[in-house]
Amino acid sequence: MKLEITALTKRFDRHVALDSLHLDSEVHVLCLIGPSGGGKSTLLRILGGLETPDSGSIQIDGTPIPSSREELLRYRRQNGFLFQSFNLFPHLSALQNLTLPLQKVHGLEAAESNAIAEKSLQRFGLLDHAHKLPTQLSGGQQQRVGIARAVSMKPKILFLDEPTSALDPEMTGEVLDLIRELAEEGQNIILSTHEMGFARAVADRIAFLAAGNIQECSTPSAFFSSPESPLAQRFLSRVMKY
Amino acid sequence: MNRRNLIAAVAILGAFSLLATLLFQSLGQNWDWSKPWEYRGILFRGWIVTLLLSLGALLGSLLVGLILMLGQRSPLPAIRWTCRLFLEFVRDTPLLVQLLVGYFVIFAPLMSRSLGSMGWDDKLVIGIILLSLFEGAYLGEIFRGGVASIHRTQWEAARAVGFNRTQTYRYVIFPQAMRRVLPATAGQFVSLIKDSSLLSVIGVQEFAYQAKVYTSQTYGGLEAYVPLALGYLILTAPVAILSHRLELSYRDET
Repeated sequence: MKLEITALTKRFDRHVALDSLHLDSEVHVLCLIGPSGGGKSTLLRILGGLETPDSGSIQIDGTPIPSSREELLRYRRQNGFLFQSFNLFPHLSALQNLTLPLQKVHGLEAAESNAIAEKSLQRFGLLDHAHKLPTQLSGGQQQRVGIARAVSMKPKILFLDEPTSALDPEMTGEVLDLIRELAEEGQNIILSTHEMGFARAVADRIAFLAAGNIQECSTPSAFFSSPESPLAQRFLSRVMKY
Repeated sequence: MNRRNLIAAVAILGAFSLLATLLFQSLGQNWDWSKPWEYRGILFRGWIVTLLLSLGALLGSLLVGLILMLGQRSPLPAIRWTCRLFLEFVRDTPLLVQLLVGYFVIFAPLMSRSLGSMGWDDKLVIGIILLSLFEGAYLGEIFRGGVASIHRTQWEAARAVGFNRTQTYRYVIFPQAMRRVLPATAGQFVSLIKDSSLLSVIGVQEFAYQAKVYTSQTYGGLEAYVPLALGYLILTAPVAILSHRLELSYRDET
């Protein structure tokens, strides 16, 4: 898909999170990397329709992201979004976490939503846990259920905001495997992550964000072998040190 | 563990019975139980009125509490401040004053005649309204705390899956908040049932009112207050037990 971002700016009080950000790129799996506080989350949240920018515009395949409340709601409904943690509703079982939005947001019948939810859980090897509450699942399982929910209605784009940052290495692996599988099946994904190896292997575009701007945007091989901006060079040398 | 529980239960029951026996023995000679039995009719009628009053005010206060909670979360400052002001005023002034002023100054002149012409007991209806407003103010604050205690991520997750505002409240926030406010709400309902006895000051012929009538008609002692306490206990105990049960069944969910 074609992603065009023009002069995107977002302030929180006096803090400038995004400072007239530009991007024009053809992406399938876009990885946002960069230091914490560099604007990754803010950009993802605006792209996902959870936040509105102060100024600037975004076009996806030529269609601008809407700004009115109702249209934003519709926009969110056609995409999927996953946070770092606490995505699931703790009072509902894994299965209900999937079926409730299917019924109430997408207007499906109970039987139909059950079939879709079970299929989605089965696909990610989670069917055994369908009737467990989130607290009875491991962090990795919770995130996988979260992803299963986010993709159950075949979203146009799947947004993932540091999906593995709250997990231990083993669970990180199982969640990244799942994301990779989705990417290989053709799902459009925009994610932020600190997993450099994963970004290199799965992304087709890397955008390096620091100080509220995209310092550079290139292919993984180009970015990781010879980063151009000094900020990216310093960031990579620190991240890759150990 | 079970044996310990049993010993504790027996010990507490024994101590309580002993206390009750001693107490009633020291009062015993002057108490005449045949008179309250004679007047059981009006006492029972009073109990039924208290039951109606409590049920009505229970529903009413839930509604008032919900409105006050939502009002305080409104994006419009005028609504927010009005709700806050009302809530503080009601919580910070005596119920007795509210009942007297509320009945004689506000509601009776407004509605008594029309209620009467419809064949309704105006004191009962206005009593339910006043009690609902009072207890609703407390519930509003309890509910506000419950909703505020739900973590921000739940609102975000609800938005992310595409719920609108109403759906977010209904499917995500309320079910979780309800579990948290249950104990405090049940406590408030118990208070409500007991507070309903104050409505005798505006002439609602409820349970406590009838006990007073009995006492003044028979020049009796305090006999009527024992059935009074038991009568209230019959109403309040189920609320407490039910809330405890629900709390247990919700426990492993969060």
